[in-house]
Amino acid sequence: MKKSFYPKLAIDGIKKNKRLYFPYILTGMVMVMMSYIISFLSASEMLEHMEGGSTLRMILPLGSVVIGVFSLIFMFYSNSFIIRQRNKEFGLYNVLGMDKGNLGRIICWESLFVSIISIIGGLIFGIAFSKLAELIMYNLLSEKTTYTLQIDFISAGKVSLLFAGIYFLLLLKFIIKVCRSNPLELMRSGNTGEKPPKANWLSAVAGVIILAIAYYIAVSIKNPLSAIVWFMVAVIMVIVATYMLFVAGSVAFCRILQKNKKYYYKSNHFVSVSSMVYRMKRNGSGLASICVLVTMVMVMLSATMSMYIGAEDSFATRYPKDISIRLGVPDIKYFDEKSFEKMRDSINELAPERENVLEMPCISVAGLFTEEGMIIDQESHAQFDISTYDNIGYVQIITLEDYNRAMGVNESLEKDECFIYCYRTEYLNDTFTIENCMPLRVKEVLDKICIPNYMVLEIVPMVVIVTSDIETLAEPLLSIKNSWDNSVLQMSWNYDFDIDGDADEEKAVYNKIDREIPDIAIHEESGDYNYGLVSRATERSEFFGMYAGLLFMGILLSIVFLFATVLIIYYKQITEGYEDHKRFEIMQKIGMTTHDIRRSVNSQVLTVFFLPLLLAGLHLAFAFPILWKLLQMFGFSNMELMIGVTAVSYAVFAVVYVLVYKITSNVYYGIVSGGRK
Amino acid sequence: MSILEISGVKKIYTTRFGDNKTEALRSVSFDVKQGEYVAIMGESGSGKTTLLNILAAIDKPTSGSVILDGNDFSKIKESQAAAFRRDNLGFVFQEFNLLDTFTIEDNIYLPLVLSGKTHTEMEKRLQPVAKQLGIEHILKKYPYEVSGGQKQRAAVARALITAPKLILADEPTGALDSKATDELLRLFSQINKTGQTILMVTHSVKAASHASRVLFIKDGEVFHQIYRGDNTNEQLYQMISDTLTMLATGGDRK
Repeated sequence: MKKSFYPKLAIDGIKKNKRLYFPYILTGMVMVMMSYIISFLSASEMLEHMEGGSTLRMILPLGSVVIGVFSLIFMFYSNSFIIRQRNKEFGLYNVLGMDKGNLGRIICWESLFVSIISIIGGLIFGIAFSKLAELIMYNLLSEKTTYTLQIDFISAGKVSLLFAGIYFLLLLKFIIKVCRSNPLELMRSGNTGEKPPKANWLSAVAGVIILAIAYYIAVSIKNPLSAIVWFMVAVIMVIVATYMLFVAGSVAFCRILQKNKKYYYKSNHFVSVSSMVYRMKRNGSGLASICVLVTMVMVMLSATMSMYIGAEDSFATRYPKDISIRLGVPDIKYFDEKSFEKMRDSINELAPERENVLEMPCISVAGLFTEEGMIIDQESHAQFDISTYDNIGYVQIITLEDYNRAMGVNESLEKDECFIYCYRTEYLNDTFTIENCMPLRVKEVLDKICIPNYMVLEIVPMVVIVTSDIETLAEPLLSIKNSWDNSVLQMSWNYDFDIDGDADEEKAVYNKIDREIPDIAIHEESGDYNYGLVSRATERSEFFGMYAGLLFMGILLSIVFLFATVLIIYYKQITEGYEDHKRFEIMQKIGMTTHDIRRSVNSQVLTVFFLPLLLAGLHLAFAFPILWKLLQMFGFSNMELMIGVTAVSYAVFAVVYVLVYKITSNVYYGIVSGGRK
Repeated sequence: MSILEISGVKKIYTTRFGDNKTEALRSVSFDVKQGEYVAIMGESGSGKTTLLNILAAIDKPTSGSVILDGNDFSKIKESQAAAFRRDNLGFVFQEFNLLDTFTIEDNIYLPLVLSGKTHTEMEKRLQPVAKQLGIEHILKKYPYEVSGGQKQRAAVARALITAPKLILADEPTGALDSKATDELLRLFSQINKTGQTILMVTHSVKAASHASRVLFIKDGEVFHQIYRGDNTNEQLYQMISDTLTMLATGGDRK
C-alpha cells in the first residue's frame, strides 16, 4: 500500500463527515484561542505596570485553569458524538478486511489533522483577537494602549502543548474504543432496538424535592456570611436536581401524560408525547448540561456586569471618606478623651487641610444575635456551627456624644436607654441585652446613621448601639476572654476625613500618615499596636481593577460556555436528525402529511430546545436573592440595576439562543428530509 | 363491481437536467373487483414498486388514470392525499414499518388517532381485529420485544383497523421465516374471505399462489395474468412457476 493511503482515507473521512467535524474543529479552535488570549494577557508586561493590573493578574490564571479543565471535559463530550457516528464506517472497513491496526492508523491520521488544524487555527485567531481582548480589557480599566500587534511565543507554546496533550488523550480513547469492539457491533451500533425508557419515579421526585430545597435555601438566606457557605451547597443541589429532572423527571412527566387516555390519543399529542419520551431519555443529560451552562453564564454575566456598572456607587458606599483611620485601643484605660486628643493632634499635624471629619471611638464585640440581644461567651452557647451562621454579627457601641456630633443633632438618653441602628440585619424586641450586661431599652431604631468607614467594610451584620454611658455598659464584658485569652472587646478610635485636594495630594497625606502610624498609635508596654488605614485614591485602582477583571473574566468564560452550549445543541440536533429520519419516512407511509409531521417534530424540537432556557430562567430567578446578598458584601446596593442587568442579559441570551435554534434546526430538517423522494 | 380501475398508466422519470428519461411504466391497465385478492409479480426493475407507489397515491402517473371506488386519484389534492390514504387504503410493508416508540397497541391505533377517533371507539375496533390476528397478548409490548411474524401481524392489524377499501401489501412475506410466512398467508386468505379486497406485490411464488388472480409485469406492462379458477394453491403454484420460467427464458406473450 502506498504511504499516502492512510492520510488520504483520513482526510476523506473528515470531509465526508464535515457536519460532525466542522463544529468539532471549530470548538477546538475556540478553546485554543481563549486559552491563548488569557495566557497572553496574564503575561502581558503592560498589565504589570498598570494600576489595578495586579488584581487582574491574579484573576486571569484562575480563568485559564477553568478553561483548561472545561476544555478537557468538553472535548471528550463532543468527541464521543463523533466516535458514535463513525463506528459504522469503521465497522465496514473492518469487514472489508482492514484490521484494527489499519483502523488505528486512519484514526491517528485523522486526529493528527484535526488537532493540527485546531491548534494552528486557534492560535491564529488567538493572536488576531488577543489585541481586541487587550483593548477591551484596557478600556474596562480606563487605560490607554497602543495598537501594535504582539505575539507571545511562550504562551503559544504552552497552549499548543496543553491541547496536544488533550488531543492525545482523545486519540487514546478513540483507539481503545475501536479496539474493544468487534466489526459486527461496529456496524450495528446506532440502530439496535432500544428499550422504552422506564420512568424513574424515585429520582424524578427526588429531583423536584432537591430543587425545592435548593430554592428554599436560596431565598431564605439572610446573612451574607451564610450566603457564601450556602451558595456552593445550593449550586451543587441545583445542578444535581437539574440532571435528575431532565433525565428522569421528563420521562416521568411524559408517562403521566400517556396515562391520560383522553389527552394522549389526540392526533397532535399522540406522536409528540411518545417520541418525546425517547428524545428526553437520549438527550436528558445534554439538555441538563445546557441548562446548567446557561445558568452559569447568566449568573456570571449578570453578577460581574452589575458589579462593574455599579462600581462607582459601591465605591462611594464602601469608602465614604477620602482617608479613614482606625487605631486600636489596647486597654479600656486608654479609652478616654486624653488619648483620643493625642491621636487627633498627631493627625492634625500630618493633614492640616482635612475637612468633613468623622471621629468616632467605638467598642465592638462579636457574637450571636438572639431575640433578646446578643450572646458573646462561646461556652454559654452550644456551638458556633453552620446553623448559627445566620446569626453571627457585631455589636458596635458608640457614645451619644459622638452620635450627636456626627449627625448634628441634640438627642438625649437615660442611662438604661439606647438607640440602635441595624446594618444588614433587623432587631424587633424593645430591649437589647448584651450577654450579662444591663438590659437597654430601645428608645428608637434609627434609620440613618453616620458610621466610620471601617464599620462599613464589615461583611457581617452589625447592630450599632448608641448609649450615654459606654463605660458602665462595657464593664461586665471586660472579663470575658476568648479562646486565645484575649478580651472579646475590641476598642478602637475611628477617624475619617476628606482632603481638600486632588488624588495626588490625597496619596501624599496617606503616605505621610502611613509612615507615622507607629508614633501615633497608643502602645501597650509590649509595644504592640494595631491600626487600619485606607485612602480612596489608593484603593480606587485596585477596586476598579478587581471589578474590571471580574467582568472581563465573566465575559471570556461566558464566551467559552456559550460556545459549548451551542455545540451541544448542534450535536443534539444532528443525532436526533439521523434518528428521526427513519421515523419520518414511516409516518409518511402510514398517512401523516409532511405538514403534520413537520408540525409534530417542530413542537417536540421547540419544547426540548426551550426547556433548558426556561429552567435556567427559573434558576436565575431563585439565585437572585443569594447573589444579591453576595454582591452586598462588595458594597453593592443597587437592586434596580441588578434586576435590570440580569433581565437584559437573559433577554440577550434568549435572542442568541433563538438564533442558534434557527440555524441548527435548518441542519436538522436537512438531515431528516434528506432521503426523501 | 370494480373497486379499482387502472387504465393506461404511464410513468416516466426524468433526471434532474431533463436529458435522460426512464420509462418505468409503459402502459398498465387492469381492474380489481370488490373482494378480490390480486397478486402482482415481476422481476426487479419491472416497475412493480412504481406501480405500488402510484396506487398508494404517493407518486403521480405521467398519464393514465387510477380510480378507487369512484375517486379519481389525479383529482386528489396533495394536501388531502395523506388523509385519503389513511381513510381508504391499508398498507402492509416488507419491513413492517412499526414505530419503535409506540407499543403494538398504539401502533395499531395510529391511523385512527390521526383521523381523530375517540379512545373508546378505537378500543371497540381493536378488539375483533386483534382477536382475528391472534395478537391480543402482545398489545402492550414494544416492537423490539416481539418476533417478526408478530410484528407483521400487528402491521396487518394497523392496516385493517380503518376498514379500508383496499389493502396494499408490498412484499409482506419478504422479511419473514417460512413458518411466519405460512401463518401470514393463511391470515390474508382468511381476511379476504370476509370480503376485504387485497392487492399484493410480491416476488414469492408461494405468496402469490394464495391469491385469486396473479398479474405479471414485465418492462412496464402487464404481461400476463392467471386466474385461480378452481385450482388449489399447489396447482396455482405450478402455473405461476411455469409462467415465471417462460418470462425468464424470454417466451412470447400468451
